Amino acid sequence: MAIQFFICLNKQGILRLVRWFQPFSGAAPNNQATIAQIYKLISTRDHKHQSNFVEFSDSTKLVYKRYAGLYFLMGVDLHDEELIYLSHIHLFVEVLDAFFGNVCELDIIFNFYKAYMILDELIIGGEIQETSKDVLLERVNYLDRLD
Amino acid sequence: MGSLRTFIKDVRSAKTLADERLIITKESAKIRTKLKDDHLPLDKRRKNIHKLLYLYILGEKTHFAQVECINLIASDDFRDKRLGYLAAMLLLDENQEILTLLTNMMNNDLNHPNRYVVSLALNTLGSLMSPELARDLYPDVENILNHSMDTYLLKKALQCAAKLVSRDVALLEIFYPYVEKIIKSHQLYSHGVLLGVTKLCQSALLSKATYEYDDYPTILSSLTNIIPDLFSLLQDLSSTNFNPEFDVNGTCDPFLQVEILYTLRLMFEAAPQETERYLDKLNDMLTQIATNVDGSKNSAHAVLYECVRTIFSLQLDQSLKVLGVNILAKFLSGKDNNNKYVALNTLLRVVPLEPQAVKRHRKFISRCLFDVDVSIKMRSLELTFAILDDSNMKELIEELIEFLEVSSEDDKDLITYIVEHTIDLFEIREINDDEWKLNIIVRIMKLVGQYISVEKIGDVLIMINNAQNMQFKTETIKKILEITVGKSKESVSEFNIGWKLMSLWSIGEYAELVLGQSNITDVDLTDYLCKTNNIYADDIKLISYALTAALKLSSKIQTASCIEDLRQLINSHLTDTNLMLQAKSSQYSILFNQPAQRKHAILEAMPLFTKRTKSNSPGPEKIARPTKPVETNLLLDLLDDIPTASENSNAVPDLLNDTLAQERNTSQHSNDVALNVNTRPENAYKNIVEIPQEASMLYESPNLQAFSEVSSSVAGEAKLEVFIKGVQSISNLHILAAVAKTQRLTLGPLSSTSVGRGEVAKQHMQITGSGKLKLRIKVSFTANGQADAEQFDHKFDITI
Repeated sequence: MAIQFFICLNKQGILRLVRWFQPFSGAAPNNQATIAQIYKLISTRDHKHQSNFVEFSDSTKLVYKRYAGLYFLMGVDLHDEELIYLSHIHLFVEVLDAFFGNVCELDIIFNFYKAYMILDELIIGGEIQETSKDVLLERVNYLDRLD
Repeated sequence: MGSLRTFIKDVRSAKTLADERLIITKESAKIRTKLKDDHLPLDKRRKNIHKLLYLYILGEKTHFAQVECINLIASDDFRDKRLGYLAAMLLLDENQEILTLLTNMMNNDLNHPNRYVVSLALNTLGSLMSPELARDLYPDVENILNHSMDTYLLKKALQCAAKLVSRDVALLEIFYPYVEKIIKSHQLYSHGVLLGVTKLCQSALLSKATYEYDDYPTILSSLTNIIPDLFSLLQDLSSTNFNPEFDVNGTCDPFLQVEILYTLRLMFEAAPQETERYLDKLNDMLTQIATNVDGSKNSAHAVLYECVRTIFSLQLDQSLKVLGVNILAKFLSGKDNNNKYVALNTLLRVVPLEPQAVKRHRKFISRCLFDVDVSIKMRSLELTFAILDDSNMKELIEELIEFLEVSSEDDKDLITYIVEHTIDLFEIREINDDEWKLNIIVRIMKLVGQYISVEKIGDVLIMINNAQNMQFKTETIKKILEITVGKSKESVSEFNIGWKLMSLWSIGEYAELVLGQSNITDVDLTDYLCKTNNIYADDIKLISYALTAALKLSSKIQTASCIEDLRQLINSHLTDTNLMLQAKSSQYSILFNQPAQRKHAILEAMPLFTKRTKSNSPGPEKIARPTKPVETNLLLDLLDDIPTASENSNAVPDLLNDTLAQERNTSQHSNDVALNVNTRPENAYKNIVEIPQEASMLYESPNLQAFSEVSSSVAGEAKLEVFIKGVQSISNLHILAAVAKTQRLTLGPLSSTSVGRGEVAKQHMQITGSGKLKLRIKVSFTANGQADAEQFDHKFDITI
């Protein structure tokens, strides 16, 4: 069980955040072609009537969710528990929302390094490390003030 | 040079792609120059790296700044370090040699007095763990585990330790004691630390296979010591009604619950003996969670789903398995597609273990066929075939037809799947109810004939041809042809090529069954052939079927004008640019002019076919065909030519070959089709399964022998047949099978549920996934009036 990568895309397929936790099948990091493929796959899916899971390759399944104009998605192992990863995504989005105060795409664009900071407090090396929203918020707010 | 904010704004405000490119290239060049300047103040340096990271997100090349991020890490300023580590995590991966430059700095930072610096280094180590970094930095991680009382750092260090063990299994010896140590020291409890502990524990359990030293039993017994702690944690979590800090939609920390369940699962798998005494407690625990967890939210379902996975992975008690299947059924019956998806996936794996329990929920399963999500549809289809047996077959096939009725072109894959499996099913299960079988096939052809491959249409034609009950056969043909010539209320789409092929074939073969006994006349049939010949002139397959049908029909009718039309139809292709059609046309026109009696004998109805399949090398018994000398040599030569001339077509040569063989055989036989059928030896169509010579024996007992033959194996997929041969007569035969975790098994139907002494039942299996091919098979059966079961494992010398 481990998250292979974490990606945030907008509705037009423009990348907003990306993080590879494992060297991704030998390809160069931030492989645009792979991301384009992923976008193609999920953007054609009906987010109301289809599940939030889709098999992407022989080793990877995507767990994704769309919040307003942004897709948040994770690549996980094929046999991993899909449902709990959906909760991971939701927790991340909740913390983003609380941190920025009603988060929108622009917040993530201009403060991408802060979004990464939040991600790094939630996930370490592809595993979840903290599950309490309050603890996370308190921590990132403190870290934010260190600037 | 502006700030990061201005840069981002500039990029966003670009009107065209070219503008954007220009801004990016310019900025990228500026950053490159700036970073080369050794005297650049630190805050400027940071600004440039920030911009660079934005370029990275935009998908630009950033390799030139790899060293720069290492310089930032070396700085004493926390802000530099933070950005440096972030850049390292994004821009570098663990295969890069430049990582070795990081070793020293990370070593310092892991021992830094500031906990946030340590945290940065731990985060980075978790992401970028090259074997060298693992080797050089593990003592620092151990140091934190040993001395730190800071849960913030402990949780991260535990996660790193778990990664270290999975990267270098020899480190297990160093790190395993911390699992027990930390979980027993209650003052360090925080959910983060507990997550870390479960991760380290999982990592230790997963390295069982690769750990080389012989003290693994010691390690295992230390790990299993924490089972009671995990139980009580789980108990607390699942019985907590509301804890604001960890509540996720009414479930208390589902993340930790799932991790604990997963750890327990690995524990019970890795140490069956050591954990045996806890088994009852685990059963209680899971029952309790499964009944307690209440909620319609994803978080609750995640915990339930993990329980179900545990139940089936560990093959727990029957009552739990039924509980598990019921939970999945509840998922299926709801509206949430995510739940349906995971439920179907799991049920597919569970079906071989608990067929009866799954079958009870077939209503929900077939309802998913009508879902919007294609992956849910496909899975419910697979599952439908997996639960299909003699008792529910008719009902399930009826559901599938209902699905076909509403299917569209988008469902092509699903349609093909249904058709192929239904035809296979009819063949393997030796269904004798011709009326039902033909009825179903005709309905399928009518609905989706255009999506069916020529090969499968061949199978359909064989099935019609081999039907034993003349009454139903006649009725079926009548129904098909009435629709075709437009004398029925029903109609078939113009694009249904499959239906047309079937009609053409039926006209040629069975015209005499309907002529004079229905409202179909020879003129109707002739017109249809001529019409097809005109409209579909460029469809070689249809034309070649039409030619054969015309020739055959000509010997069955008397109306001179029709016969003349047919002759012209055949002659119209004498100069066809398609060589196959031309050859066929020439040959047929010669046959056409043969004396009536001879023509009649040549154009005799088709014999019963035995389908040739690749996997059955000796195959079902072929019908004996005594070859008798034929009167005219000329004719014989001619006939021998035909198959070679028409090699390009797939189905036609087969049909022709059979016609020819038949011709040699029956020239002196009665021409009556019904009689012909009756003279066949009874067992000729009984599908006798034989074990191919190349099959290898898997298992042998006083009751039965098992063999298998791998019919195909490519990367990611293997198909094999398992044969069960009765040493004595056995009934109620049932086969369950399991494969390695990385693979998925699809079981075909069993050819027969009872085998007499020396008889064989065949089971088709398809394995997808990766890894070495291993099978565990459990055969349950009744022998001498007693229910019995036998289980065996087999490793194939094949990796997929």
